[in-house]
Amino acid sequence: MEAYKIYSLTSAVLFVIGIGGIFIARHFIKKIIATIIMGGGVFLCFVSFAERDALNFADPVPHAMVITGIVVAVASAAFALALARRIYQLTGEESFTKDQ
Amino acid sequence: MSVLIDGILAILAIYLALQCLMAQRLTQTVFLFFAFGLALALAWIRLGAVDVAIAEAAIAAGFLGVLLLDALRDFSPTFSQKQKNPETGQNPPGKDDNKPPFLPRLALGFGLGLFLLISLEAIWKTPEGGGLTAASEAFLPESGVEHPVTAVLLNFRAYDTWLEIGVILMGLLAIFVVGGIRLYSRPFTAAQDPLLRQVILFFTPVLFLFGAFLLYFGKSGPGGAFQAAVLWGAIGILLHLGGRPVFSVMPRWLLQLILTMGLGFFLLLGFLLMATGNALFEYPPAYSGIMILIVETLAAVSIAAALTAIFANVNLMKEDPNQTESTT
Amino acid sequence: MTIKEVITVILLLVGCFFFLAGTLGVLRFPDIFSRLHALTKADNLGLGFIAAGMALHIASPLAALKIFFIWFFTLLASSTSCYLIARFQKEQDQSGNRKEGG
Repeated sequence: MEAYKIYSLTSAVLFVIGIGGIFIARHFIKKIIATIIMGGGVFLCFVSFAERDALNFADPVPHAMVITGIVVAVASAAFALALARRIYQLTGEESFTKDQ
Repeated sequence: MSVLIDGILAILAIYLALQCLMAQRLTQTVFLFFAFGLALALAWIRLGAVDVAIAEAAIAAGFLGVLLLDALRDFSPTFSQKQKNPETGQNPPGKDDNKPPFLPRLALGFGLGLFLLISLEAIWKTPEGGGLTAASEAFLPESGVEHPVTAVLLNFRAYDTWLEIGVILMGLLAIFVVGGIRLYSRPFTAAQDPLLRQVILFFTPVLFLFGAFLLYFGKSGPGGAFQAAVLWGAIGILLHLGGRPVFSVMPRWLLQLILTMGLGFFLLLGFLLMATGNALFEYPPAYSGIMILIVETLAAVSIAAALTAIFANVNLMKEDPNQTESTT
Repeated sequence: MTIKEVITVILLLVGCFFFLAGTLGVLRFPDIFSRLHALTKADNLGLGFIAAGMALHIASPLAALKIFFIWFFTLLASSTSCYLIARFQKEQDQSGNRKEGG
């Protein structure tokens, strides 16, 4: 079993963990982290396929797309974080479901 | 042996992701997220993607981790207050209290399991071959740089990189809208602690030098604009936390110029190339090396400024409560 | 196996031992100050041993210099952050005591 196969299987598991986290987690920060984990799964899938298609060097196109993707994911997560903090400041809520 | 290491690393990443989402306290969640990011960075080194590993460790674990830690200042006191609250004190906070009803949980578990099976099968059965390795290897001599990832980022698919700088700028604007623009006219209060002050003064040139090295080294090895940008952004964040907010020193037009410089110059270069009869971002091979270096430098400065501004603005959200009262 | 490889392996093993000890300390020690002590002191020593082992393994003066700088900056950053966390905790404790006393 080659190394890339281990990581591509891991990527599917991470993606599903992220999706489950988005549904199950209640706090805003946990939901944001769940989306990042989901993205991490997708990136891992890309990079493991880049390793599979390696000739003299690994396929650089997925690497470049993953670097771009990481930065975009972080920018959107920062925006989500700012929104979450603003919602908390204005309403005192820290999740979508109201506490009794 | 190598399969063993990869297997352990994969199990570690999955375990950390699960623990991160199931942790009871928010502080645990954030620190496990740091650990998860570093485990992922190790996985990328194992897969030979050193650029991605640097980007992950610096941006996703480092920068986002700092933002999350900063957000904990807002959230965690209320969390601990809730723990002490006698009404909810019986059952610990977390997802154990007020569980959703049984049927939706069953449906969710079933759906997730099905989804896992589908994605595993899709990944397992992805056809071999394909990929653009051969194409990028063939055109590498014309790109003006020696490192294939940099060639793809700034020459072959420069369009993506250009739009990405735009996305960061959009994120910054959205944060301005949410938090209110507070970058200007901050009081200048240097850190009181002498050790902290000295360490910040020491690390500023070191980080700058290391960022410049990464930027230039990106031509022939792992490194490049984004990694350098995060290091330079770290300077801004350090100075901000040390009580020297850089953006309050410079005039407003200069900040706006720095923020939009990367995006603007990239676009200007693209239009100039189009005017000379090439396609957008199709550099003439003779000048492509120097063009890529200039674009990378300006983009790195812009991204660094944007990251610093994002952090500074999110960091200042907690302060001055008058504004929140006036808007409600 | 040459004498150099033996020394490298010994250095790496000693480094791993100190890392293990530091991690054990973080997990088992009761309060934040002793945990910080275990984390920064033991782990930096372990990192130093591992860096020395790697420098010996690579055996090029330039790479050895780079590895030394990595260790040096880690040392600087971790000792500073240790000091800052400890100071913060001490201030918190003092203000807490004052509140309880008054």
